[in-house]
Amino acid sequence: MLFNSYEFIFVFLPVTLAGFFLLGLRSRNLALGWIVVASLAFYAWWRPVNVLIIAPSILVNFVLARWLLRLTAHKDRAGLARLVLLLGIVFNIVFLGYFKYVNFLATAANDLVGTNFVLTQVILPLGISFITFQKIAFLIDVHGGRISSFTLRDYGLFVLFFPQLIAGPIVHYREMMPQFQQARCRWDSENIAVGLALFVFGLFKKVVLADGISEHVTPIYEMATAGSEITLFPAWIAAIGFTLQIYFDFSGYSDMALGLARFFGVRLPANFDSPLKATNIIDFWLRWHITLTRFLTAYLYNPLVLCLTRRRMAKKLPGLGGRAPSVGAFFQLLVGPTLLTMFVSGLWHGAGYLFIMWGLLHGVYLSVNHAWRLFGPKNWANKETYDRFMRPTGLVLTFLSVAVAMVLFRSTNVGAAKELLQGLVGLNGISLPQQLYAQLGPLTGLLQSFVSASTDMSAQELVLAMAWIGVLLLIALLLPNTLQLTARYEPALGVYSKPAASRYLLRALNWTPTAPWAVAMSVGVVAVVMRLGGKSEFLYWQF
Amino acid sequence: MTDQDLLIVFTRTLRDLLGDDSIVLAMNTRRSDVDGWNSLMYVTFIVAIELELKIKFRVADVDSFETVGDIVAKARSLLA
Repeated sequence: MLFNSYEFIFVFLPVTLAGFFLLGLRSRNLALGWIVVASLAFYAWWRPVNVLIIAPSILVNFVLARWLLRLTAHKDRAGLARLVLLLGIVFNIVFLGYFKYVNFLATAANDLVGTNFVLTQVILPLGISFITFQKIAFLIDVHGGRISSFTLRDYGLFVLFFPQLIAGPIVHYREMMPQFQQARCRWDSENIAVGLALFVFGLFKKVVLADGISEHVTPIYEMATAGSEITLFPAWIAAIGFTLQIYFDFSGYSDMALGLARFFGVRLPANFDSPLKATNIIDFWLRWHITLTRFLTAYLYNPLVLCLTRRRMAKKLPGLGGRAPSVGAFFQLLVGPTLLTMFVSGLWHGAGYLFIMWGLLHGVYLSVNHAWRLFGPKNWANKETYDRFMRPTGLVLTFLSVAVAMVLFRSTNVGAAKELLQGLVGLNGISLPQQLYAQLGPLTGLLQSFVSASTDMSAQELVLAMAWIGVLLLIALLLPNTLQLTARYEPALGVYSKPAASRYLLRALNWTPTAPWAVAMSVGVVAVVMRLGGKSEFLYWQF
Repeated sequence: MTDQDLLIVFTRTLRDLLGDDSIVLAMNTRRSDVDGWNSLMYVTFIVAIELELKIKFRVADVDSFETVGDIVAKARSLLA
């Protein structure tokens, strides 16, 4: 069931909320149990067999976690506890691997060593990548002593809570359960108003903005898939347009998730913080899919770097940093772990060569960014001079790097990605729609050696696509984001009341439950409802 | 070692690591308060402290420290 579908908005959500508030009048336990039942129904709606796949894995994890909990209480059982943790992690990775990667591994084996494995149709349970990461994090947290007690209902609630079940944010038990345990489970006007605002902002971003630009972007990727040459302008429209599409799609989904959880009095962690305003790629990853970065950093990157740094420094070799940074340390402690982490990130997103290449490319970007920080010139007069020049330069460079990498993320096969990447650097030539080319006048003679007329894209299509890109860029770069607009109501965990902007006009945009905002949101809802009904999935639901 | 002694060791280590002699750590200092003290330098800092004090933090602890005071408290308990 999509968040942006009639059945979700007009049937599932009202029924679930009504049941929650009614049962909440009797007891919190009943109300929380109701959320688990509703979440299972939500999950089953898409394909009921999904529940039969995911439920046993939840039970296995629950049993392992209980065992781990008992073992961690005894210091002399630490070895067995580590073994159980390892068993749990392996179980979850194999579970994910079977459903998500078995076909990719067969294809890779056939490609690499000429085997002839026959591919079978494996049903990919919705949101399996997100659910698996949460289950692994839970086991590690139990082993690390961060979780001291839990019941099956609590665990089910943590894994299945429908606002974040399919596409995150990826949450920790310790940040969710205290909220559920203290939830009033009663109607709360402020929670409903803030939740509704977040939900409507997200719905508008998804249905109007992301779906709007996708109409101009998708045909170009389809042309590339069909093997057509993509020239300079359409290639850049595809790269930049898809970057904006996925930003508004996924951040829209995340806003809706925040809003839905808030209806139940629960705050989820923030997943986006205006990533396109980032002035370097390190900053980008601290603002884009924040909870995935947080997971990979805490459970993969940090332990790996910690282990490598300990080994290196025990041998009296320099670590990172210091007054004269070491190139050896840079490669061993930074480039290696960064590439591995981003490889895992790419593979987590999808079973395919292009996702892996996308992840590795970001690994390279991050390494270059770190190298610049460690070894780059430091002869700027002061920080202000550096910022004045480097911040705008960094913003443009970061955006273009992200957009180029998005071509790998979006393309359906390597051939299509190659066509688009060639187009981006002009290797497929530069063409203008016939109508525009005819109006070049005296410039025609000057430009005809490298610009041609094309019928692939009409002048109207080109101008419309560029207008969409311009408007969405202005929104992404100049306006405060949803969390800033609603900051005074703590829309997400850890996002406290901060003014959205110091300038009066932007400060006036801060959301409050007032008549002008009600009118503005109603207009947004009308725009959304006019576009609802089409089958428009969230891009991240495939993961 | 008192908390103040540990703070002195931590400050000296971080100054060497970031090449900045103006750094002064307090119990409530957070990483975001110190320019350049990113996640990479944080891990190197932790290992440098481990080597200096001959202690070993758990991975889960390293991830959970929010302030310098948290690291001081854990180091003190490991030294006890």
